[in-house]
Amino acid sequence: MTPDLVDLLEDSGLTGRGGAGFGTAVKVRAAVSAGATLIVNGCDGEYGAVKDGYVVAHHLDELVHGANLLGRNGIRYAAHRGSRTESLLRAAGLDVLSVPQRYVSSEESALVSLANGGLARPMTKRVPVVFGSTAPDGRSLPPTVVLNAETVWRVAQIADRGPAWFRSFGTADEPGPRLASVSGAVLAPGVVETAAGVGVGDVISAAGGAARSPGGVGLGGLSGGWLSPAEADGAVWSRAALAAYGFTPGPGTVHVLGEDECPLQHVSTVLDQAAGESAGQCGPCMFGVPAAAEDFALLAAARLDQGGWHRLRERLGLLPGRGARRFPDGVAGYARSSLRAFADEVDAHLAGGCSVTYASRRAHAVAV
Amino acid sequence: MNEILWFVSRATGVASIVMLTVVLVLGMLTASRRPPQGIRSAVVMGLHRSLALGASAFLVVHIATAIIESYVNIDAISAIVPFTSGYESAWVGLGTIAVDLVAAVVVTSLLRHRLSERVWRAVHLTAFLFWPLAVVHGIALSTSDEPVLRGLTIAAAVAGAVAIGWRVFATDPDTERRRAVALQEWS
Repeated sequence: MTPDLVDLLEDSGLTGRGGAGFGTAVKVRAAVSAGATLIVNGCDGEYGAVKDGYVVAHHLDELVHGANLLGRNGIRYAAHRGSRTESLLRAAGLDVLSVPQRYVSSEESALVSLANGGLARPMTKRVPVVFGSTAPDGRSLPPTVVLNAETVWRVAQIADRGPAWFRSFGTADEPGPRLASVSGAVLAPGVVETAAGVGVGDVISAAGGAARSPGGVGLGGLSGGWLSPAEADGAVWSRAALAAYGFTPGPGTVHVLGEDECPLQHVSTVLDQAAGESAGQCGPCMFGVPAAAEDFALLAAARLDQGGWHRLRERLGLLPGRGARRFPDGVAGYARSSLRAFADEVDAHLAGGCSVTYASRRAHAVAV
Repeated sequence: MNEILWFVSRATGVASIVMLTVVLVLGMLTASRRPPQGIRSAVVMGLHRSLALGASAFLVVHIATAIIESYVNIDAISAIVPFTSGYESAWVGLGTIAVDLVAAVVVTSLLRHRLSERVWRAVHLTAFLFWPLAVVHGIALSTSDEPVLRGLTIAAAVAGAVAIGWRVFATDPDTERRRAVALQEWS
């Protein structure tokens, strides 16, 4: 790649579309100086994300062009094993890194480990992986830069159309077009092209609008959080605006709950799945997350007593900052934001009921 | 008098086996993946140490009486150097090795504060060797005509074997979860 490209990226203000939102120019500059190989991350690892697959399915030529601009030292395309994305990449004759279908396996350092013959588990990062990393067995792994597929596609667009075009989308702080993956109770679930600064409601409208009146909106998947219907109504879809709620748009996932779904039941199901995602490398992840998920399941079933409620909040408070990686932090933030957004529903459940499913549960009880 | 010494030697020998087996079981508890917690850990540790010293006293009497009495031919040398006794050289020899190991374990434990943890631990691990030697020595010698003594020795053998098995095979929740996760698809 040329120094010109780094300047273009700097001027455009492109940030990583994988969720962390780190400046792409900084990362690419480091990759150039370290002579890093490139991994294009097309895993859609976040719950609800489908946009990497969308980029591969609809903009593969531009994606490959962007990767070729960036990856002078070798390029691999990471995709979940057995996914449509993987077969599309293979059909195009690209060097595919086949990644196990696991939440933590598509994390940057897990991909680097897998690409170098190790397990697809996150590693301890002493320095950013772009400067090289150390495997659990002590081997030195070469410098590797991992960029999200949408990010690489944006690089090609910026090289082609220039920073001014890029900055004509979004806000001054969060410029550029971006993709959102909208799922749940919407008429046309899937990927929408949008930009930071629009309303959360606008993103939902772009996916055909809510199929029923919404019962809550989840943003950023398992590392994000929840907005109540009232909060979602006026909320702006940007990092700056969502900071007030303690999370970010992440990689752009938007999940709409219908008003006839119990939000706590939904969150509980997600937490149960999260409890099985641990890479088994630290206690908070192996035991803390499942313990919190267990209590949350009792809450969702309206069977949590006051002692349990105290314990659940205590455990969610203990998870952040104690793991080897940030997975427990993300899960705790996700669960806590649901307790905030659905506080009325939490009160109803602690009182032994559920305003959404009460009627059906009573019918069930009578039947039993 | 000679006969009394012979009976004292046999009695203290069996008592030593029983006590050392209790010491072994307590040690296995302490070193296992699910060690006793809180006040119980202090009780287990205290018993382990006190009983070990107590058993050593019985061992000293057991050996001294065996040397002094003249019913069988065991001299002072063969109490230290294995396989040198005139009487049942092989079975007495196993007991001699066991005693040498016990002496090493006791001395290094008494001097533990002056030794590196690695040295102490390496010597302490020979307890895994000494105990079966002592049990075989006990079963092979002098208990054959006494069902009570033989029964005690065999009971000690079973108890110690169970404790060792538990020490080796018992796991903790951490190990179990890591093992289970490692079996999933990771590459």
